[in-house]
Amino acid sequence: MPTLDELTSRIAEQDAAFSAALAELDAALPAARAHALDALKVAWTGRKSGRIADLMALLPSLPAADRKVFGQRVNALKQRVEAALADRETAVAATRRPAGAVDLTLPGRRPQLGHRHPLSLVREEVQQIFTLGYQVLEGPECEDDWHNFEALNMHEEHPARDMQDTLYLASPVTAAPRAPWARPRRRGPRAAAAHPAPHAHLGDADPLHGAARSPVPWCDRPGLPARQPRPHAPPMFHRCEGLVVGKGITLAHLKGTLLAMAEALFGAGTSVRFRPSFFPYTEPSAEVDVRCIRCAGAGCAVCKQTGWLEILGSGMVHPAVFEAVGYDPDEVTGFAFGMGIERVALLKWDVGDIRLFYENDLRFLEQFSL
Amino acid sequence: MKVLYSWLKDFVDVADGPAEVGRRLSLRGLALEGLEPVGAGEMPPGAAPVADDAVLDFDVTANRPDCLSVVGIAREIATVYGLPLRVPATDAPGYLRLAGLAPVDRATFGVRLDAPDLCPRFAGAAAAVRVGPSPAWMQRRLQALGVRPISNIVDITNYVMLELGQPMHAFDEARLSGDIVVRQARSGETIVTLDGRTRAVQPPQLLVTDTTRAVAVGGVMGGLDSEVTEGTTRIVFEAAWWHPRSIRATSKALGLKTEASTRFERGADPTLQAVAAARACALLELIGAGTADGTIVDVVAAPHAPRVVALTHAHVEGLLGMPVPPAEVARILTSLGFGVAADGPGAWQVEVPGWRPDVARPQDLIEEVGRHHGFEHLPATFPPVHPAPPPSDPRIARDAVARRAMLAMGYSETISFAFVEAAAAEPFAGADGLVTLANPLSETFAVMRPSVLPGVVDAVSHNRRHGRRDVRVFEIATAFGPRGERRMLAAAWTGAAAGDHWSGHRRDVDLFDLTGSLEVLAGAYGVALALDTDAPPYLVPGRAARVVRQGTAVGACGLLDPAVAERRGIPRADAADVYLLELDLDAIAAAAPPGATRVEPLPRFPSAVRDVSLLVDDTLSAATVRDTIRRAAPPTLVSLREFDRYQGKGVPAGKVSVSLRLTFRADDRTLTDDDVASAMGAVIEAARAALGAEQR
Repeated sequence: MPTLDELTSRIAEQDAAFSAALAELDAALPAARAHALDALKVAWTGRKSGRIADLMALLPSLPAADRKVFGQRVNALKQRVEAALADRETAVAATRRPAGAVDLTLPGRRPQLGHRHPLSLVREEVQQIFTLGYQVLEGPECEDDWHNFEALNMHEEHPARDMQDTLYLASPVTAAPRAPWARPRRRGPRAAAAHPAPHAHLGDADPLHGAARSPVPWCDRPGLPARQPRPHAPPMFHRCEGLVVGKGITLAHLKGTLLAMAEALFGAGTSVRFRPSFFPYTEPSAEVDVRCIRCAGAGCAVCKQTGWLEILGSGMVHPAVFEAVGYDPDEVTGFAFGMGIERVALLKWDVGDIRLFYENDLRFLEQFSL
Repeated sequence: MKVLYSWLKDFVDVADGPAEVGRRLSLRGLALEGLEPVGAGEMPPGAAPVADDAVLDFDVTANRPDCLSVVGIAREIATVYGLPLRVPATDAPGYLRLAGLAPVDRATFGVRLDAPDLCPRFAGAAAAVRVGPSPAWMQRRLQALGVRPISNIVDITNYVMLELGQPMHAFDEARLSGDIVVRQARSGETIVTLDGRTRAVQPPQLLVTDTTRAVAVGGVMGGLDSEVTEGTTRIVFEAAWWHPRSIRATSKALGLKTEASTRFERGADPTLQAVAAARACALLELIGAGTADGTIVDVVAAPHAPRVVALTHAHVEGLLGMPVPPAEVARILTSLGFGVAADGPGAWQVEVPGWRPDVARPQDLIEEVGRHHGFEHLPATFPPVHPAPPPSDPRIARDAVARRAMLAMGYSETISFAFVEAAAAEPFAGADGLVTLANPLSETFAVMRPSVLPGVVDAVSHNRRHGRRDVRVFEIATAFGPRGERRMLAAAWTGAAAGDHWSGHRRDVDLFDLTGSLEVLAGAYGVALALDTDAPPYLVPGRAARVVRQGTAVGACGLLDPAVAERRGIPRADAADVYLLELDLDAIAAAAPPGATRVEPLPRFPSAVRDVSLLVDDTLSAATVRDTIRRAAPPTLVSLREFDRYQGKGVPAGKVSVSLRLTFRADDRTLTDDDVASAMGAVIEAARAALGAEQR
């Protein structure tokens, strides 16, 4: 005949088993619990073969004196089981959709919206930064020799004019539609230089109209990469260029303008740094860095531990450029800058590979919204 | 330009270590590209060892040939730190000494300049020598700067070039016969250069010759058979000045770029030749390699006239937009070697040293002042705003309309290269032909795209090959033809017309999705566009159209020829049709009316809507049916649209049932049922009479 202690230990075993079953139920997805809960109820509280009933069936095997105690202990377990199951029942019921109600977890009918290309987004952002007080222009993409080099103080012997540094068209083309708002070109046959981009550019020397004012053409055009093609280097990139001409324009004005642009592009608190450099069409010239937008200057892989990111070339318009387009460099000064749109986009979104911009892979493009 | 930190310290007593020196110079115009610590090493006799020695690699911009020398970079450091610069002198300590050389008209050799415009100065100094290896300290310095030690004599010429920036050459005097003559090469002349190659030279390339033959390609490379060898006992050091244009042309023509040609083509110091020769002679004696004769033949055809540039303090501050005290202006320029003479209050006459060919205008001097005073001191200010600049390029706003419309219609924006391979361009080339590049980067980028369609076709191809069946893309970009550039909108759509949804079955794109997009664009620009069945060759006839405005083609629309698709790598296996659309935005813009200036008032009277189904021949175009109805209807017909088209059970073969919705409205009254009924009667009768249509 089993003793009370022996049978009590079986109650304890079942108690532990129930805790485990309950934990398993709680781990299931809420909406998937209903089925498991039904099974649990049958297994534990079923009249005939439920585990509680099985324990109760042991009662007659105990000496009469122990039965009351044993019965109380089984009942305690039974109450715990029933309370726990009732509690889960309420929770499961709450997840059931009322009859007739729509299942809102089904996907909605989503109209397809197009996605913006990141280079287009940056270009538009820059255009918007220069809305007030600036004239925003888009330049021709194939440029003639005079506009591309001569007027920009890059005379015949300038190394950039080598065949290996500039792409040339095989035969001259008709003047690109320099649109009615730009004045006719001053001189220079339309020879045929496709735009060499690596050399920062004033853009077109032409749109310097209205000397006393400070019109600011802004151009963007694809350009071509420097020097010999490197494997995997894209054959072109996009630029935006700024120019302010007027009386009393200073290098400090350039700094203020570029700081404002950097803050608009990369967020308030961005700082810029000017490093002296050299371009044939500006004097003085400066490369401009922004404080690393990834590490805020602490040093990281993106900025190669320097805390700064080079974003553009700039400077004060070279007097020879003014002379080439018929301005008196003693009367007016000006600043100019040229920035690669790809460079900004690479930094802004931490794009790891520049080729992503031209593959037009929808998995990439769909990460950019309207 | 690589430079050894301890070598810099010959010229300037800078206390900061190499890393800090590099950092400070980077902010003053010499960008540090690399820093390699090398530790202490052999030093010239009398120089103190430097424990934290390092090789600094600076990116020297093309306008600064002076910084292709140790002393040039030391001069920048001296200016940054406000320290004095030590330069080699006859009374300097051993390792910085210049030999005293007496100028003579001719020595053991004479010099004649036959091309004085391109080689206006040539200095020669002879010496008795013992050829052997140079000392360890000299070899260490050369190697640190990337130059291979060869022999004590050659090493001295290289050492002087690296130290002062004046390229030199040493001839074996025994191999020279007669006087040294600098002249243009003659047609058909050849010379074997030091690298052992026979080179054909021609006018106007410059040669150093003796009375019998060429002994060097001037300023580029010496000749092999006058080179210094182990058996050489007497040498002539050459220090000459060559015109940058001549050296650039010669170097390019011969495909020969040397340390010497690099310096001469950027512009060497035209005043340095005698100094370089004296330095070489002093080093010869310092390292025990020989004894200089003590004379120099320094032929100057045209003495260098230093430029003088007038500078005012007002101009400095006016261009920079920051205050720089006049004393600081003078300090910076003086420290950089400019001769600064006051010319009244706040004005100077500045003499430009020979090593600064880049400085010709006051702006050039202002750059020197600005960068050394520090761009970090520039305030961030704004230019004065002029309220009314000329209007911006109208294409920007115009293109944005098409971009918004396409995005809203579910097309994603792509950007492709303006260069394409000829095979990609050819199907899309117009009658004018292609614009090709004279020197393409590769065959893949050989022509300028004649249309933007190759870009979107390639975008489809890329996505298809990466497992994406449904692609809807557009690009707004420039197309190139012999008659100029055009701004085009191109689009491609393939696969599903709408995203999959559990509630219904999917449908693939068809031509009407594209013509619908076109209708939206026409509406956005307020222009009327028609379709002409004469489709371009890259589209499938019968499933394509030209887009026409007032008789002029402004675009195309339709199913891409599967053969073209396959050639662009679009897998044929999934058999999904690719539809294209292209529109000339320049042409559309020229036709587009200016934006609406006032809003149409809403109708004051209700409209009446009637549907009618007509049975007509299925070869009859919808436009004919519409036009017939429009002509017959009274002016109260305000809209007319097909809403169903049915063929099949109940419709005889060759016929089609077209259901139309007609909306009638008058501006001045509510139409009565009789009004509308009579209008419908007229419409149905006209369709019957003109088209044989039966009402269903």
